[in-house]
Amino acid sequence: MASSLRYIDYKDTEFLERYINEQGKMLPRRVTDTPAKKQRAIARAIKRARHLAMLPYVSDSVR
Amino acid sequence: MALISKMYELTYILTPILTEDQNAEVLSRVTRIIEQRAGGTIVEIDEWGLRRMAYPVAKKRNGYYVNMYFRGPSHVVDLVEQELRINDNVLRYLTLAMDKGMIAHYEQRTRKKLESAEAAEAAATEEESTDQE
Repeated sequence: MASSLRYIDYKDTEFLERYINEQGKMLPRRVTDTPAKKQRAIARAIKRARHLAMLPYVSDSVR
Repeated sequence: MALISKMYELTYILTPILTEDQNAEVLSRVTRIIEQRAGGTIVEIDEWGLRRMAYPVAKKRNGYYVNMYFRGPSHVVDLVEQELRINDNVLRYLTLAMDKGMIAHYEQRTRKKLESAEAAEAAATEEESTDQE
């Protein structure tokens, strides 16, 4: 039985960072192989974290 | 009639140029709005303090983060956000109504924090007792 999805916290940036690339972009489901529901929850959490400047919108290392 | 009171989570960021007193002043304004104007209750206040932001906001690289939890009637959010919107020292804010999943997650985190605090305390007292030997 698949366990029901737990709340994904926008404060857990360490966890969310696993789902963004070096540019700060969210990884597609094709890459992360995440269930749709969880992917949506992650996307929501990442957007919240971005708003609070806990994650970047863009982070181009090309300076 | 059942009292309709939800649990909310609020995080806001203050500009880093404020003094400690000014930070406390903003917090007390917010708590006063929740408790006195809206008749809500504060559950927990967790001041994260000065943190580096992922990108500059209002030309500031750091921000003073405050994360808090409270209960209250639905208009509490309007009143609090009105204050946060008007206050120029607030760089960002986010209020969320907590659903069952979020509350469960919050309780679990609180429990973990408590346990680790207790463990640290136990370790400290143990160390003390070994010191005495």
